[in-house]
Amino acid sequence: MSQVRSGVGEMLGVLFERYHVPLFNFYLKLTGNRPVSEDLVQEVFFRILKYRHSYRPETAFRAWMYQIARNARVDHLRKRRPETSWEPEMSPAVEPVDTAQQSQQAILLHSALMRISEDKREVLVLSRFQDLKYEEIAQLLGCEVSTVKTRVHRALQELRQIFHQLESGKSLRGKGLDGGWPRPGSVQ
Amino acid sequence: MKCEEIGELLPDYLQGRLSSELAGEVEKHLASCVTCGEEAALWKNLALFPEEQPSPALESRFKAMLESYQEGRWEKSSLATEKSKTPAPMLWGLGNWRQLPAAGIVWACLFLACGFLIGRQSDRGADNDVQKKLADLQDELAATRQTVALSMLQQQSASQRLEGVSWSTRLPEPDTKVMGALFHTLQFDNSVDVRLAALDALSRYAGRPEVRNGLMEALQTRQSPLVQVALIDLLVDLHDRGAVTQFKKFQQDPRIDPTVKKRVDWGIQQLN
Repeated sequence: MSQVRSGVGEMLGVLFERYHVPLFNFYLKLTGNRPVSEDLVQEVFFRILKYRHSYRPETAFRAWMYQIARNARVDHLRKRRPETSWEPEMSPAVEPVDTAQQSQQAILLHSALMRISEDKREVLVLSRFQDLKYEEIAQLLGCEVSTVKTRVHRALQELRQIFHQLESGKSLRGKGLDGGWPRPGSVQ
Repeated sequence: MKCEEIGELLPDYLQGRLSSELAGEVEKHLASCVTCGEEAALWKNLALFPEEQPSPALESRFKAMLESYQEGRWEKSSLATEKSKTPAPMLWGLGNWRQLPAAGIVWACLFLACGFLIGRQSDRGADNDVQKKLADLQDELAATRQTVALSMLQQQSASQRLEGVSWSTRLPEPDTKVMGALFHTLQFDNSVDVRLAALDALSRYAGRPEVRNGLMEALQTRQSPLVQVALIDLLVDLHDRGAVTQFKKFQQDPRIDPTVKKRVDWGIQQLN
């Protein structure tokens, strides 16, 4: 009995080793909040263990895992919302100290990414950072592949607009970054 | 091309999924149109974000969860109950009552009686029940191993695919899906190391006629000479006379590597 348990545990260990960092980055880019992202990753592995019987080997494991990951986030938001309307995405971060032009651009880009609407941000994160194919994302979101592509393009359009707004705002305020841009790694 | 048309093509272009002709058209437009060019540049720049690492606490929490599962405390220690929950009032009452000394004796008698009753009724059933549960769990273990093996064989990194091959060898009886994946790896994997590992894994099941046939079919000139030699050696080790026909056919292929040709000659001699 315990041998079987340790076997399942060993395999979950392998899955954790391979997927916990990508999952953490998936959540971090969606929420901008480290502790919440870590909680959600833990929740995903808890659910994988709990619902492992519902996995069908003919489907891709990664798609199944991201399905769980999305559901976990939806449940998390549902639990939070009645208590407070405060969004973790909007949490103020420590003002980043930087001088190089490139890292300023990267911060602006990240701020812009955090400001585009969530459904668009999600397809961007899944396609760009999680390396999911449009077909996989369509399966995950339960929509047509063409819808995913349109959403990716709209996400880029929105990202560009917000990036420019932030950039012109920044130049008006000189160096001031307003201390309010969330950035991964800055919220502890 | 107009911006609207580019908008439709851009997502596929960005994932490198357009034909070179169409990709060229898109690139021409991106160079001349500021808006579309910036969108493509933003996509590219998103790659500049570094991969963030979670705190070590995440791993410790995961290990704690796994330990509780392995020790069989799993059902009681779900995440939901991990955060302290007050027990129901009725249980509090029972808890207090149970602590009284006289009550202890009553509880002991009750448990004893229950034990006898249950023992009498399920003496025969219990053994079968445990056996069945054990068998179920072992099936589940095999299914999970298969899942891991299949999932890893599809990975991008060669080391992960190698690990996938090694997982497949832990399966007592790999099914057709795993076998299919291993044969696919043997024939089409980009890395020669992974292909050789897949061959090694398959050699364990060479007793099965379908595996043997699959191995003979895998002997083709587009295969790497290293894998070809390993295949010839394996087929010779198996003393399968049927391989001679395949060897002779293979030998006549004009594209055959000279070293491999010598090995085939040797193989034919061994088998005759």
